Amino acid sequence: MSLSLSPNSAHALLEADGLTKRYEDGVLALDHVSFSVRAGEIYAMLGANGAGKTTTINLFLNFIEPTEGEARIDGVITHREPLRAKQKVAFVSENVMLYPNFTALQNLDFFARLGGRTSYTKDDYRRVLLRVGLQEEAHRKRLKGFSKGMRQKCGIAIAILKNAPAILLDEPTSGLDPQAGFEFMQLLHTLREEGRAILMSTHDIFRAREIADVVGIMKQGKLVMQRTRAELAGESLEDLYMEYMAGHTEAVD
Amino acid sequence: MLKLIIAKELREIISSTKFAVTFGVCAVLILLAFYAGARSYQVGQAQYDAAVAENLRQMEGLTDWLMVRNHRIFLPPHPLAALVTGVANDIGRTATIHGRGEVSAEDSRYSEDPVFAVFRFLDLDFIFQVVLSLFAILFAYDAINGEKERGTLPLTFANAIPRAHYLLGKITGSFLALAVPLLIPIALGALLLPLMHIPMAGEDWLRLTLVVLAGMLYFGAFLTLSVFISTRTHRTAHSFLLLLVIWIAAVLIVPRAAVLLAGRAVAVPSVDEMASQKSRYHAQLWEADRKAMGSFRPAASEQPGQLLNQFNRFMQKLADEREKKMLEFSARLNEQRRNRQAVQEQVAFNLARVSPAAAFALASSNLVGTSLVLKEHFLEQAGKYQQAYASFIRAQTGGSLGGGRVMMFRTTDGGEEKRNPIDPRAIPPFVYQAIPLNRAVQAAILDFGLLIFFNVVFFAGAFLSFLRYDLR
Repeated sequence: MSLSLSPNSAHALLEADGLTKRYEDGVLALDHVSFSVRAGEIYAMLGANGAGKTTTINLFLNFIEPTEGEARIDGVITHREPLRAKQKVAFVSENVMLYPNFTALQNLDFFARLGGRTSYTKDDYRRVLLRVGLQEEAHRKRLKGFSKGMRQKCGIAIAILKNAPAILLDEPTSGLDPQAGFEFMQLLHTLREEGRAILMSTHDIFRAREIADVVGIMKQGKLVMQRTRAELAGESLEDLYMEYMAGHTEAVD
Repeated sequence: MLKLIIAKELREIISSTKFAVTFGVCAVLILLAFYAGARSYQVGQAQYDAAVAENLRQMEGLTDWLMVRNHRIFLPPHPLAALVTGVANDIGRTATIHGRGEVSAEDSRYSEDPVFAVFRFLDLDFIFQVVLSLFAILFAYDAINGEKERGTLPLTFANAIPRAHYLLGKITGSFLALAVPLLIPIALGALLLPLMHIPMAGEDWLRLTLVVLAGMLYFGAFLTLSVFISTRTHRTAHSFLLLLVIWIAAVLIVPRAAVLLAGRAVAVPSVDEMASQKSRYHAQLWEADRKAMGSFRPAASEQPGQLLNQFNRFMQKLADEREKKMLEFSARLNEQRRNRQAVQEQVAFNLARVSPAAAFALASSNLVGTSLVLKEHFLEQAGKYQQAYASFIRAQTGGSLGGGRVMMFRTTDGGEEKRNPIDPRAIPPFVYQAIPLNRAVQAAILDFGLLIFFNVVFFAGAFLSFLRYDLR
């Protein structure tokens, strides 16, 4: 389950190129958004509700098709070759919901096979579950009794098992207790070190500051700010965020 | 990939409490239907044997075949008719054979035991039509939108899954998880039949298999319909409500409404109207014969017996002519009515076939031989039997059919040898031939085709709808 990518590779695994989405009712959800996430990089998308963060992720997953522009995963245009693109990405949603009548191991087995990984053993599943912090006694329990944090851990375990070079995280720490949130951040560090490109949408400015290599702020479907960790040095991300929320509406180049 | 989704669906359904409970209920109902059907057949067979014996017993002691009245024949019970009742309990099971005249079926089970007509029987047909269709809806109403509501759909489609594979896997998995386990109580129920000494011929087993096959197609139609509706809605509550409305319309309203509409669209003279016309015509014939009786001029003879024989021959001739005219008139009226009825039935059935429930009911009753054809078939056989019976009586009486249409006159001088009683067992027995299998299958082919069509259309609808389904 380790990736053969170099953490220092400059290769962009996730790319949004002029990504635009206008819905049938005329609402412009995303307006020419462009960014890229390289291998071994964590990109945190900040923004209020309705800013376009989830729409961006949905476009990467080809759940919706862009009106203009394109999303690429490892060079594969998602709306042209969705199946090929999806082989290269794992996804963890805000509220991971798995099959409640299946045990954690059964859920992992199903989704790992669905992701094309058929050679894993039960020991592999156990190891990953332990790695994401799910205690052994929970492995054989049905998910119907799991807390949100426990389900979230299973979701992350599924993403790890897929062993994809890119990972999309939609508000992954929402609703997690502080301990679980901390453990999750530790895990993201590890995944980054393995060379994965991680795109994370979040409301959590402090965690974004702590972990992200690049932070982008979205507002009304536009990417209004994008700075690297180095560019953010000495600045308060919270103040920047509030400033951008209050005034700026122009997109970054 | 397809196998994986099928296996997941199987495991998900079978491991649920909902499945355990509903499957248990369905299994009990199916076994109950087989048991009740077998018992009903046993009771019916006992009643049939008793009625046949009683018919012969009432002739015992008669010394002249001319005295035989009310010779009755009976529609024997059929083992499968208790499983797919159709109209078997609604039509008369008895026909009185006079040797001439029209044969009509009387004494239906419901006319004798009206309590059974109130709620009808809990037969296999009812369980398939009502219970299993609801069973299909209960497990498939949330096939797609439920996955979306639960959040598993986006996670699934974050993987490289073609939508067509997913949908096919869902439908196949649901069908295998729900329909195949139902075959177990059906097989156990079928096993009950020989255990309860119900005589099932090889052809009967084939008919039962075809009924179950039609049931599976019907079940599949509701399953694919449920999946289709679940791809058209985004909330499970909406799909469930919509399916419930469709179910009520398809199972309870459409077949009944179709019959009502056909009744309005195609007028068929009522039995009373027909009887009234026949009665008027009969009265006219009698009036004419009454006048003709005045022209009876016996040849000169002093022997009362010879006089009576002349009179009997004269009367028989009148009766035969009257009978012939009456039969022609009745046949004409009956044919007109049958033609109108046939049109009405066609209109009713074709309208009702919009519903898979009607298609299944028609297919199963045709296969078993309890469709509307049963009455016609019984009367047709009774008519043929009547001819054989008439030949027999004529042979015994030297030409007369008796039946109260001749006067009997004998002189006794006390020294005459006592007449021997007739042997009722000499009467040719009525051997009912069930509707042949090939004819039954032919009659059911259209409805089989329709059930397949419903499956294909609903699957295609679900497929096209799911291609554009919002997975978020």
